[in-house]
Amino acid sequence: MTPWVHIPQLLAAGITIGAIYALVALGFVTIVRASQIINFAQGEFVMLGGVITFFLIKGAGLPYPLAALMAVMAVIIIGFLLHLLVIYPLRKASVLILIMATLGASIVLSNTSALLFGTLPKALPAFSGEHPLVIGGGIRIAPQSLWVLGATFVLFLSLYLLSNRTLLGKAMEASSTDPLGADLTGIARNLMIFFAFGVSAGMGAIAGVLVTPLFYTSYNAGTLLGLKGFIAAVLGGWGKNSGAILGGFALGIVESVSIAFIPSGYKDGVAFVILLLILYFRPKGILGSPYIDSRRW
Amino acid sequence: MVAENKNEFRKRDLLYTGGLWLISLILPDPHLPYRREFIKKRDFFYLGALVLLPLILADPLIYLMALAGIYAILALGLSLFLGYAGQISLGHAAFFGIGAYTTAILTTRYAVPTVGAFWASAFVAAAFAYLIGKPILKLKGYFLALATLGFGEIFLVIVKESRGLTGGVSGIFGIPWFSVAGFAFDTYLKQYYLIWGVLIGLVLFAKNLVRSKTGRSLLAVAASEDAAASVGINVAQVKVRVFVVSAAFAGLAGSLFACVMSTANPGGFSLGLSVLIVMMVIMGGMGNLYGPIFAAIFLTWLTDVLGGYQEYSLPIFGVILILLLIFFPDGVGTRLNARLIYLISYWGRKRRRERVDI
Amino acid sequence: MALLSIDTISKSYDGVRALHRISLNVDKGTIKGLIGPNGAGKTTLFHLITGLERPTSGTISFQGIDITSMAPHEIALLGVGRTFQTLQVLGNMTVVENILTGMHTRLKGGFLASGLWLPRIHKGEKGALQEAKEILEFLGLLGRWKWPAFQLSFGQQKMLELGRALAMKPKLLLLDEPAAGLTPVEVKKLSAKIGHLRTQDITILIVEHHLGMVMEIADEVGVLHNGELIAEGTPEAVRKDPHVIEAYLQGKRD
Repeated sequence: MTPWVHIPQLLAAGITIGAIYALVALGFVTIVRASQIINFAQGEFVMLGGVITFFLIKGAGLPYPLAALMAVMAVIIIGFLLHLLVIYPLRKASVLILIMATLGASIVLSNTSALLFGTLPKALPAFSGEHPLVIGGGIRIAPQSLWVLGATFVLFLSLYLLSNRTLLGKAMEASSTDPLGADLTGIARNLMIFFAFGVSAGMGAIAGVLVTPLFYTSYNAGTLLGLKGFIAAVLGGWGKNSGAILGGFALGIVESVSIAFIPSGYKDGVAFVILLLILYFRPKGILGSPYIDSRRW
Repeated sequence: MVAENKNEFRKRDLLYTGGLWLISLILPDPHLPYRREFIKKRDFFYLGALVLLPLILADPLIYLMALAGIYAILALGLSLFLGYAGQISLGHAAFFGIGAYTTAILTTRYAVPTVGAFWASAFVAAAFAYLIGKPILKLKGYFLALATLGFGEIFLVIVKESRGLTGGVSGIFGIPWFSVAGFAFDTYLKQYYLIWGVLIGLVLFAKNLVRSKTGRSLLAVAASEDAAASVGINVAQVKVRVFVVSAAFAGLAGSLFACVMSTANPGGFSLGLSVLIVMMVIMGGMGNLYGPIFAAIFLTWLTDVLGGYQEYSLPIFGVILILLLIFFPDGVGTRLNARLIYLISYWGRKRRRERVDI
Repeated sequence: MALLSIDTISKSYDGVRALHRISLNVDKGTIKGLIGPNGAGKTTLFHLITGLERPTSGTISFQGIDITSMAPHEIALLGVGRTFQTLQVLGNMTVVENILTGMHTRLKGGFLASGLWLPRIHKGEKGALQEAKEILEFLGLLGRWKWPAFQLSFGQQKMLELGRALAMKPKLLLLDEPAAGLTPVEVKKLSAKIGHLRTQDITILIVEHHLGMVMEIADEVGVLHNGELIAEGTPEAVRKDPHVIEAYLQGKRD
């Protein structure tokens, strides 16, 4: 049985996980478009979305949809707090300090989650049942995957409308592209970054709620997910929403398909190898990037 | 009346000045990196304290200081790369691990004497740094940080999967004590002196380096790559070379770590450790050699203290990290003298205000 | 043969034409001025000469060697020094260390030798320190030789950057607006020092807005406008050139 036989099924799995990576990547890109900051705690937003929902269902007995909604709102508040307590005080700090601070926040969030909610993996019920659909050449897709794909599309569309059609979105972009100009035209930069963190946290939480029925989530799942989401954002085209989507799916598919050819333990390494290759050969990413000019980055 | 007050103030000022002189004797101030002289009087005080410290410390604390010494070697190496040349690396734990595993494999499987394994560890770590450095160091800022992080993660994945070579997740056991010509460093006390002895040697090496044209080329690269190139400094080559040297330091530290712990397993070389070492350099102050060493001692002690709080330890550690970054981005020692002066003189100023407001 | 020879150099950035077919020469032992309204491409030309950027077409030769695609540090090794329009003083070092950094190419020793402080390193450092102090004395900064560089005043920092370039013992010195931001007194001092450099057989190419200073010290002047060389010749000739007058007035009218 050659490895190639598995490819279609792995492709399907890859598209699903790719959608998650895409959502995480969108979260990164949203903050970068407002502030040129890379938020290493992004993955934790995803993790908290799933974990808090689980806690609200099991611990407080709330119905599923309400728990999910409250969890997302809670994570948005956490995103705002992250900005107010960590990012805003360091608004004038160097790149190095910001990296370390968001890494520190990632440590705080993941370990506080372990503290409050325990370290055991958590799972949530699927939205519309567990029975896998069978399509094409015997490929099984969990219905949840369709929910994930659908949500990814909706969120991507919303972000597109936000950045291109609303004043708020354009203001957010302006404050990143030209901080001085933004200040002079009355855009409150820090407020824009504040919103960006909230939006980003919300998207992450939604991704978390969507993906937990498919894969277990636990307190330390966020770190790796965040890194892979970041890699996806770089791969697709740094700083572009479309790049985040493309990169997410590309990474998910390559990673998933690679299992057919290399021992599964190396799977997590694949993403990092891709990262190194992309950074070395084409740092702008597949679709190119408006942010990278060789002098600054 | 005026003359009276003047005398009063003079006595007080003398007291403060004396106290401050005593304190400045002990603390290194990263804001004075310009006094790059070779040996200062203060250094003899440090040396004496190091030599005498184990006499007053209990055994577990000696172990802690030995461990701190190993991390200090790591921090010293990274400070050349990060503190002087201004480049970010979030993957130095990998070089630490490469050194540890090299020693582990050579001593347990090929019966190589520990001294040989010691130097081999440095060499192997340096070789990896060279291979990885050449392409990666073209990147700057966030992307360099991420590339080094990626390298660190790849290292962990490979180590965990290569059961044959590295013993996988469980690691390698039974690494012998470090020994030189039959003398084995088998107690915490002996290991303490070994490690700090190595550190002192490396500090002297680093001090020389920093005072020379090589040291200046590092600082120039950090200050302005264009200006450095304009005076003939091959910026890319300097970056690779300092990366290699810092990795060699990490390799040496890893070798000592393996001999002290007698085991080598992937748990000790995670991203968390890389972050910790970078914190040591930031806390110690950029452009400073002693600062990161003090920070290493402080942070090792801190992680030990927090370890006692079990599951609370990591969240608290993360919060402390963030607070340190917000309040001491230049390093803890910076302006510490000035801040202490301000604090101590507060009492005097308050008294003076009370006096004059009759 | 000219010391520096720029042959039909053009530079475009994504369709924006910064320099268009510039040709000029600098003869050994002379001071050549380069003037022109802001945005004319003068600093871009410097970046091309020193290797920080590559021209879109054309060649640059120094002492007969083609340096068009050489790396900046290699060009520096050949004996080309420069100062920067945006002051690039090495703020994390002391004043004297800035000068010593300039001597990088003239000192020997790599990482291992320096770390072990071999005798040749020690000798090199002692000699270098002596020479650095002499340069500082020439610049009038000797009293502050141990100061952190960022604590100097702006004018002093500009002198320091000049000193760093001089420490290379360059054959060709490119000065990018060395008088910008200086008080009239400082400009006069700078003028005198540059004049003194000429006696030491250093060829100088200087970009400046202080027209008075340039006209006084330069042997020849070139005028750039919108990326093109519109005039070249002695200061008197250039001053009267109708194209030049139009270019400057045009700038002012807008």
